[in-house]
Amino acid sequence: MERAVLSSVFAKTLRERLRGFRWWCLVTLGFVAMYGSVYPSIKGKESLNKLLKDYPEALKNLVGFGGNLDIASGAGYLGSEVFSFWAPIVLLAVAISAGSAALAGEEERGTLDLLLSLPVSRTRCLLEKLAALLCEALALALVLWLLLVIVSSLDGMGVSAGHLAAAVLVALLFALDFGILALVIGAVSGRRAMAAGISATLAVAADVINALAPMASWLDKVKIVSPFYYYSHGDPLRNGVNARDTLILLTIAVVFAAVGPFLFRRRDLTSA
Amino acid sequence: MTAVIQAEGLVKYYGASRGVSGLDFEVTAGEVFGFLGPNGAGKTTTIRLMLDLIRPNAGKLELFGLDAQKESVAIRRRIGYLPGDLHLYERLTPRELLRYFAALRDLDGLGEGERLAERFELELDRPIKALSKGNRQKVGLVQAFLHHPDLLLLDEPTAGLDPLVQITFNELLREVAAEGRTVFLSSHILSEVQRLADRVAIVREGKLELVDTIEALRAQAFVRVEATFVKPPPEDAFAGLKGVRELERRGPVVLFALEGPIDPLIKALARYEVIALDSHEADLEDFFLALYRNGAGGAL
Repeated sequence: MERAVLSSVFAKTLRERLRGFRWWCLVTLGFVAMYGSVYPSIKGKESLNKLLKDYPEALKNLVGFGGNLDIASGAGYLGSEVFSFWAPIVLLAVAISAGSAALAGEEERGTLDLLLSLPVSRTRCLLEKLAALLCEALALALVLWLLLVIVSSLDGMGVSAGHLAAAVLVALLFALDFGILALVIGAVSGRRAMAAGISATLAVAADVINALAPMASWLDKVKIVSPFYYYSHGDPLRNGVNARDTLILLTIAVVFAAVGPFLFRRRDLTSA
Repeated sequence: MTAVIQAEGLVKYYGASRGVSGLDFEVTAGEVFGFLGPNGAGKTTTIRLMLDLIRPNAGKLELFGLDAQKESVAIRRRIGYLPGDLHLYERLTPRELLRYFAALRDLDGLGEGERLAERFELELDRPIKALSKGNRQKVGLVQAFLHHPDLLLLDEPTAGLDPLVQITFNELLREVAAEGRTVFLSSHILSEVQRLADRVAIVREGKLELVDTIEALRAQAFVRVEATFVKPPPEDAFAGLKGVRELERRGPVVLFALEGPIDPLIKALARYEVIALDSHEADLEDFFLALYRNGAGGAL
């Protein structure tokens, strides 16, 4: 067992992340359980939707997740309570922390010098770290999906496992875009805080741009550069997979992942 | 003799005061090559260039006849490296760290790790974060020797080692050299290089001051005379004496390098009141001092 755990950069990175990953699973379980226990008291209460109708557009956009704000329905409730806020945040937190720790973390701790004195190319090192990041985020997304499927069926939310999967998939891809960005910034700068800070700021900006888009026409034009727009606007909880949005989020991730090795190979590593 | 390391006009600007500016040297198979210089002289920069951790601004650098940058992975397969500023995975035990590094080097188990750990009396199963500086350094050494490398790049290898472990380390280096393997030993400690190296390069401010065998350096050695006066003699008291060079002054103590007969110096000393006089063959320490006193080292 121990042998397998330390057989590659990929395996070792996963092992290092395991401790924190358990906590994120617990956090996810806590949130899903909390929202699941509240829903039965809201279910079918159309009066709540009337209250929401008078919210400013930006606020509706901020708390909504595609489609109409309708928290009395299962899809509307999950969209505004789970997918507009904490689900992407938990996934982002895991992806950005894994991404910024991947190379910048090792460089700051001074272990990267020793690791890259072994016959491991920088490209391979980056790709194995990237693979570990993908696995960790994917694993948390699966946990989230499973819990949502359970809660949805217990509460009679009427959202299919397939539609939940579509929503979790775009949330995962949205988080990966910024997690991979953090990995790449870390690979280029060697600075973990910078990698995490820039990626997290951009992720928040993506949400805010998308939310404020209805307020100003120029923002409405700009929103198409925001990954959050592609994350939310297809309303996957009601409509299932939106191929275009999913593909765009995937493309962003692939582009970041592709420039990473190119930039990492070229630079001088800092010595601790 | 084949060149294991070949540097030609190697330049690396690196920060304000560090880096190397035009290094030329060659290390041949089976020798222990001492790379000697004060901290910040460019020793670590040179080693990190060999590992492709940093890239040169100009010049050629080949190891085993391979380009240090283009064929770095193949080169690193044959190198064992001990960083001067050693940082290990704190949460692992030495056994886990060695297993990890062995796996990345495609070795079974711990490679030579178990045998070497026994030799250095290194405990393999306590977390690295609980180890003393000396024990960490042992972990660093063991991982460098893990795969029976053809070339060892050791940056200040004995830092933190207690004297007994240093003896084990010295034995190990001699065995390595006897097997025809090559050691590049960077140090600012002269006695260490003097004891272990066949040839030595002295580097200062990114430039090589000289490359020679230890024997040749000894042959050129001068006699060192240390005179202690009642009160410091005038600054120019010993200027212009033939074969006599003033190396250092510490208050009433003056250190001379003597390259000819001692008589002129004795006569000059006699003009002042002398408390003590000491003289012996210079070792590398004095040599080094003399070199640095003279800037470019032209007088040698």
